[in-house]
Amino acid sequence: MKNKIIITINSLDELNNYLKLGINLFAYPLKGFCVGMPNTFLIEEIPSDGYLFINRILDNESIDKLNDILNNIKIKGIIFDDLGVLELIKNKDIEKILYLSHFNSNLESIKLYLEYVDSLIVSTDITKEELININNNLKNKLTIFILGYVPSMYSRRLLIDNYSKFYNIPKNNPLKIMNNQKEFLLYENDYGTMFYHVPLFNGLELMNLEAKYYFINSAFLNSDDIQKLLANKYEGSYDRGFLDTETIYKLKEDNSD
Amino acid sequence: MTELLAPAGDLERLKIAYLYGADACYIGGKDFSLRANAKNFSLEEIKIATEFAHSLNKKIYVTVNIVFHDKNLLNLDEYLSSLKEIGIDAVIVSDIVAVKKSYEKGLDIILSTQSSILNYRAINFWKNLNVKRFVLGRESSREDIIRIKKECNVELECFIHGAMCTSISGKCVLSNYMTNRDSNRGGCAQICRWVFKNEDENLPDFTFMSKDLNMVEYIEDMINIGVSSFKVEGRMRSIYYIATVIMCYRKIIDKINSHTLTEQDKKYYQKILNRVANRDSMPQFYHKFPSVNESYFTDRIEISNQDFLGIVLDYDEKNKLIYLEQRNYFKKGDIVEFIGPNMEPITYTINTIIDEENNNIEVARHPQMHLYLPFDTPINKYSMMRIKLFDK
Repeated sequence: MKNKIIITINSLDELNNYLKLGINLFAYPLKGFCVGMPNTFLIEEIPSDGYLFINRILDNESIDKLNDILNNIKIKGIIFDDLGVLELIKNKDIEKILYLSHFNSNLESIKLYLEYVDSLIVSTDITKEELININNNLKNKLTIFILGYVPSMYSRRLLIDNYSKFYNIPKNNPLKIMNNQKEFLLYENDYGTMFYHVPLFNGLELMNLEAKYYFINSAFLNSDDIQKLLANKYEGSYDRGFLDTETIYKLKEDNSD
Repeated sequence: MTELLAPAGDLERLKIAYLYGADACYIGGKDFSLRANAKNFSLEEIKIATEFAHSLNKKIYVTVNIVFHDKNLLNLDEYLSSLKEIGIDAVIVSDIVAVKKSYEKGLDIILSTQSSILNYRAINFWKNLNVKRFVLGRESSREDIIRIKKECNVELECFIHGAMCTSISGKCVLSNYMTNRDSNRGGCAQICRWVFKNEDENLPDFTFMSKDLNMVEYIEDMINIGVSSFKVEGRMRSIYYIATVIMCYRKIIDKINSHTLTEQDKKYYQKILNRVANRDSMPQFYHKFPSVNESYFTDRIEISNQDFLGIVLDYDEKNKLIYLEQRNYFKKGDIVEFIGPNMEPITYTINTIIDEENNNIEVARHPQMHLYLPFDTPINKYSMMRIKLFDK
């Protein structure tokens, strides 16, 4: 099953370690087109058998720049969030994996998007039961997020920079913040600030589901962490996100209808 | 003509918004809407609201903009059929399944800002799915809006006033983690207004709250660019807030259209808008990239506004009495003003207050007490009495 894992890469030096683990599908965060990724790659550094990872919401100038890049490179596929990217690649013979972060939470929507893409990363905001139901109807089509820090907020603003400027204190990037025993890890670049929920999400059990791919976001982890997590020897903390906990839809029942 | 689009959390707010100058209102039903805290509308109320809107030759849009989980889809078809039958003017949606089903029902589709659109290529994707109008991300710059309009020639709806999400809309699930309430299904607990500890306890608390949006300075520019609809945020805001904000923008737009807007007018409306808000407001992404000045960095700064003194329920022509419902404390001797649809503010000194038992009283201290104020000038129902704010 490990040959169906796509993992984001922090460093080219990690590749051999992952290959030894049986992981051979790599997603490279593209410099200038990602948020929340501490390490990104120039287009020249990305091999033709790699996936581009693009998680920014793009303005017009950026989508035009990306178009120029995509017209001049050879790659295996793209994992992307902005639907404008789909318009750029719809006629290109590359694998298209849609990662709409918090959308893709129901079977019908996922089926509709699959008319345009080869696979998509299912939202991490649904329960395991919901995920199983969706996956049972779409065997070998989905990409399931199984491991890593999960994005919980993406702001276009430079929130860490603003904070350090306002208080005239050194800029700590990444930055960890907390309230009521809940923690978030923030990372900022020129394109915005990403909040990740802490601890990291461990849904390795989801590899029991028949999926097209399993996705690992290795941001703020290294290959040693990944190896230990896969071997169930990781000593750090992790959780199961919302796999067992359904979020509240309606705050109060109103029977006046 | 650019549409002025107001929020309405219930029928009272809806009526106020239309009467004070909105061309259209957006409302949420009791299901499938992102403001679960608002009172929201039953189908029967949506019907009443639609009939009211259309009787004034105005439009009404219904938000169906949650991110659906499977079990939320159970009644969606039936609900959209009902909206079609009622005759609403469009739905505001974000999830692709709601786009498809709305189109199948023959409903006009507005793509919600939850869909995080900042470029023309993304518009083209949705345009092919029969989306008629697009609410752009609040992060759109002036240049982005111009380019999108040029490349796509679609109806663009832009926020011009009200609260800002710190996040790109649709990209936040902080409430899910902090409160287990689903941000994208109406449970946003406004975590971006909470105070967080820095992991280094020696450093100041971390806050990331945005100041509000205010586009008075750029309304004329946006009209010239070809923005189709000016959207005001705030389905949970008070009737006084809605009346004041809508009335200010109505007057600004009308004065631009008649080439009579002056710098003095803009300053006056800015003062009124600043006074009615409980937070600072300013342009955000339109003209420059927001930085320190566009955010708050200390604890939640919100000022309670008690300018709104009462709403006019009726006017007794025979006895020349305003019949008023009290909303905040006032007393004899106060100098106040009446504002209302299609009128300039009227200054009034309170010399007499009569209660419902026909007693002369000194102060109006009880919320929602009904009172009479003698005044020779007829004041229309739904006009509002507020503290005298500024001379123009």
